[in-house]
Amino acid sequence: MQKTKTVCSLMLFFVMVILLTGCWDRGELEDKSYVIGLGLDRSKQEGKIKVTMLLANPEVGSMQGGGGSTEKPREIISFDANDFIAAKATANSVISRSISYDLLRIFVVSEEFARDPMFPSTFFEVLKDKEIRLNSYLAVSKEKAAQYFLKNKPRMETRPHKYFQFMVNHGIENGLIPDSTLFRYFQSAERGTDLFLAMYTTAIREKNPKIKREDEYMAGELNATGELDDTQFIGSAVFKNGVMIDKLTGQETRTINILDDTTNIKDILVNIPDPFSSSQKQFAARILKTQSNKVKMNLKGIRPKIYITIPLQFEIMSNPSRVNYRKEKNRQILRKHIADHIEQMNEDLLKKTQTKLKGVPYPLPLFAKKYFGTIQEYKKFNWGKSYLRADIHVKAEIDIVNYGKQTSRPKKVGE
Amino acid sequence: MNQQPGKLGIREFVSIAILMVGAKATEDTPAVLFRQVQNAAWMIPLLSAGIFFIPLFLLIKTMSLYQDKDLFSVIKKLFGKYLGFIVCLFIFIISSFAVSYDTRTYTNIIRSFYFTTTPNLIIYVILMVICAYGAKKGLQHVGSVSYLIIFYALLSLYIALGISTQQSNIQSMFPIWGPGQLEIIKLSSQNITIFADFFILTMVIPYVTSNKVFKKGTWIAFVYVSIQISVATLIFICMFDASLAGYAYPFHIAIRFISLGDYIPNVEIIFFIIWIMTAFIRFTAFLYINALMFGQLFKIKDFEYLIPSLTTIYLLIGIIPESPIDITLVLKPLIQNLAGPMFAVISITLWLVAQLKGEFKHAKNKNSM
Repeated sequence: MQKTKTVCSLMLFFVMVILLTGCWDRGELEDKSYVIGLGLDRSKQEGKIKVTMLLANPEVGSMQGGGGSTEKPREIISFDANDFIAAKATANSVISRSISYDLLRIFVVSEEFARDPMFPSTFFEVLKDKEIRLNSYLAVSKEKAAQYFLKNKPRMETRPHKYFQFMVNHGIENGLIPDSTLFRYFQSAERGTDLFLAMYTTAIREKNPKIKREDEYMAGELNATGELDDTQFIGSAVFKNGVMIDKLTGQETRTINILDDTTNIKDILVNIPDPFSSSQKQFAARILKTQSNKVKMNLKGIRPKIYITIPLQFEIMSNPSRVNYRKEKNRQILRKHIADHIEQMNEDLLKKTQTKLKGVPYPLPLFAKKYFGTIQEYKKFNWGKSYLRADIHVKAEIDIVNYGKQTSRPKKVGE
Repeated sequence: MNQQPGKLGIREFVSIAILMVGAKATEDTPAVLFRQVQNAAWMIPLLSAGIFFIPLFLLIKTMSLYQDKDLFSVIKKLFGKYLGFIVCLFIFIISSFAVSYDTRTYTNIIRSFYFTTTPNLIIYVILMVICAYGAKKGLQHVGSVSYLIIFYALLSLYIALGISTQQSNIQSMFPIWGPGQLEIIKLSSQNITIFADFFILTMVIPYVTSNKVFKKGTWIAFVYVSIQISVATLIFICMFDASLAGYAYPFHIAIRFISLGDYIPNVEIIFFIIWIMTAFIRFTAFLYINALMFGQLFKIKDFEYLIPSLTTIYLLIGIIPESPIDITLVLKPLIQNLAGPMFAVISITLWLVAQLKGEFKHAKNKNSM
């Protein structure tokens, strides 16, 4: 009896071990090829799309201190397909390993395709695929996505997943690109009241671009020279009902990111015109956002009124006109000047969203919801239309936490 | 401690109840509620709990007249032999279908999110075999295991929900009344099935140390679970906003979305393991109770031997529907619209019959004598 029992439990144990392999879902790292970036373009043939896959080699860089293989870190493959889900199988005629979207980090859509009214119906397939995570990013490239991945050759970060992770994270922290996860894209598309911003990128540098202020560029316009990557992430593409309609520059994107409390901006370095300088000098400042914006609305009447208060902390980093901030009067001038500057910038941009974009590019309508008792009333109010008529007042609450080092004017010889 | 062997103490009982009913926050319930009343969905669990409180209170009051008797004995005693049998059979059939479709829902979740290529049947069989094995071990074991894992289960749920709040916006819960107060109240009364498990749990009274423990445990679990489901739903509403309607299983979408920083980006497997353990407990308890019902119905004393065969039947019922859509859109609503209201009606009728028969007076007289 004792013997049979032991044998039985041993058998059970072995059955358990078989289960541990994961049945049909057994996977081997060696056998997998992970798609890090997926490019989508319009195909020459009607109704099809051109899929580009950026595949990472899991073997490269996984070993500490060299000794790794000499294989290339990435593979890029482009072909025409009906959708990007079945494309996985098609790609296997070229790629030796089984293709997985598990680690997919970024979707790059060419501007041409993003402006196509057919784009949302193709892109909504993302929700059907069980491997794609909603925290992957959506980016719009100026050129064709297929070309973008080929041109994009990072020098320092050869492993593509790290490159996109760092590039995107730092861009979002600086506020120059929006936090455009698929999650937010679908949220905004489902809400149908606000616009969605996707990061704008390109791997082709413009020839002879104009020199502008530090954040007024679009991707490709920054004239960086030296030994570097051509890829630039700056600015944003505006999506309405899932289709791209317009672009915003880096500065406008940053302003929206400051208005939007749901993004993850950290600290932002900006240049602001110096109020004390007669020539057009600018001083550098660090903006910290520690508190959330306060939004108040008065939605009765024909022209709804929206009051937005933005609390910002400033650190003054440079002082080109060498003003003495020990004097209270100077400090007040500066505070007033910064507040006016910020308010002007925000109101101008919001005006532009009302007239040009015809919608607000961040989830502002959410704040309107609490003024209504039921969904029917809210729907009747029709945010999409009412917003265009709205009176928007922006108030900046500026708190200067640090005036920087006080330097005295260097003495000139003979003075 | 003065625990009788083979009986459930209060902590085991509360753990089983919380794992059985609280798990609803992690399957399709929040999304189903959202489709019905949009952003007011978080009120439904609270209001339904308020509505279901009355029948449950009356039921427990009636049950307390008969020490150490389970639901079916009481029904048979109050309704008579034949009517009682029919009512009991009805309860058994409904709860059987509920188990089949619930297990199928869990199989669908596992297949669509975690084991995408394994055939449905294999996952289903493994799930059921494990649950049947657990149920065969007896309620005492189920109680101990649920007390063992309840801490981890709740902790992981809190962590997942806590991280989710970082991505959410509280403004999404407005307009506060959703589709209107009347609509909310109407749908809360339809959704009392969320708490129907508490009705079924009265079957295990003979296995709980005392009636007082049962009463106290039920109320603790009842209040806690209604709050948990409501809070979870609220967090999902704030996180997904309008797109919640498009996701069948918001908890699993959420744990795939959240990450613990840049270096541990994909963490869903940690939550999945703990979640699957609660699922095992949930269905183990369900299977055991259903076997108990069957045993009571047909006067089978060693009902624990019934568990494997009952499990097989449930498995066979569960695999009939072809696709997950049939389950969530057709069959489950059918059970949901039937079970809750019917259990409530049975509870109230039981109390009324007891009142008419003068059982409460008898009990009082007995006590005063």
